Amino acid sequence: MAGRGKLIAVIGDEDTCTGFLLGGVGELNKNRKPNFLVVEKDTSITEIEETFKSFLSRDDIGIILINQFIAEMIRHAIDAHMQSIPAVLEIPSKEHPYDASKDSILRRAKGMFSAEDFR
Amino acid sequence: MGVVVKELSLRLDQCLLRFMDELESLEEKRDSLNSLIEQGWFSISKARYSMGNKQVSALQYGSEMEPGVRVHVSPRHTGETHFHTQRTEHLKLDQSERDSAQVEDIGPKEGVRRRGVTKEGDPKEQPASHAHVSKETSPPSRGTPQQQDPLKWFGILVPQSLKQAQVCFRKVMELAAEVATLQTAVLATRAELQALMAEKHAALKQETLPSQADEQVDRQTDMGHTETRLTEDRTT
Repeated sequence: MAGRGKLIAVIGDEDTCTGFLLGGVGELNKNRKPNFLVVEKDTSITEIEETFKSFLSRDDIGIILINQFIAEMIRHAIDAHMQSIPAVLEIPSKEHPYDASKDSILRRAKGMFSAEDFR
Repeated sequence: MGVVVKELSLRLDQCLLRFMDELESLEEKRDSLNSLIEQGWFSISKARYSMGNKQVSALQYGSEMEPGVRVHVSPRHTGETHFHTQRTEHLKLDQSERDSAQVEDIGPKEGVRRRGVTKEGDPKEQPASHAHVSKETSPPSRGTPQQQDPLKWFGILVPQSLKQAQVCFRKVMELAAEVATLQTAVLATRAELQALMAEKHAALKQETLPSQADEQVDRQTDMGHTETRLTEDRTT
């Protein structure tokens, strides 16, 4: 697996997924399980969270790209992920621009300068 | 301030500067990643405008998908993880180039082919030429299924804007790997800063404790001196 490299997984709206699949990230494995999830209006938060957790547990995924507004729905699950592999990247979506103050990684880095760190 | 604390402070400062540099470059990469994604969406929208509303959607995704990009992950001893993308299409192209090069190499060795002339005293010639023909006609064996360009999901003659979108998103993936590397670097530096901070606090405590003890001892001796003086005064 290390020789072949890992995959990039995508959880996003239709345009984000279409763009990345056009770029060539898409894979359907032997069990016909995709490495992407197109989130539509009727997609439940439970489904998103389960997919995210399944991506975290897969050892062939190196980076998970997720729209920030979807990341907001499952923030607790993203905050609970502390490992560096797979890396979780929050990206903007068409309707919601990227907000650095909501990003899990930047919030952790910002926490560096909280009062508790200086005690 | 002791030597240990001074050294720790210096290391803390260096670490903090590195942390700030990493944050700055992360922000820069983020900006370019976001603008590239926006360009990609714009191109998709343009393609949708020229092809029709429902021509570029999730319904057109292929039933077979092979990843064209893979990420190579290499953890480093500093706690960071390096992410690097590699296009698998390049690998396959190299492979096919090598195959074609092999065929070209084999051809000239045989020399000029003579038709209708057979040497009676050369029995080795015929099997060799048969082997050559079979090599040429046999299809190239591939372990993985042939990869299809995702552009073909949306039609044979796709507009230029869709190709531009593909280029944009390919660049986005390269940038995403760089951003992921920087993110892990930021987190690793943060952990290092916290560890250094804790070390400095411990060193400061150790420095202050003996000095406090000395002060207490000094005070006690001073008190002892004054008491003896007082008793001497009283006796006199």
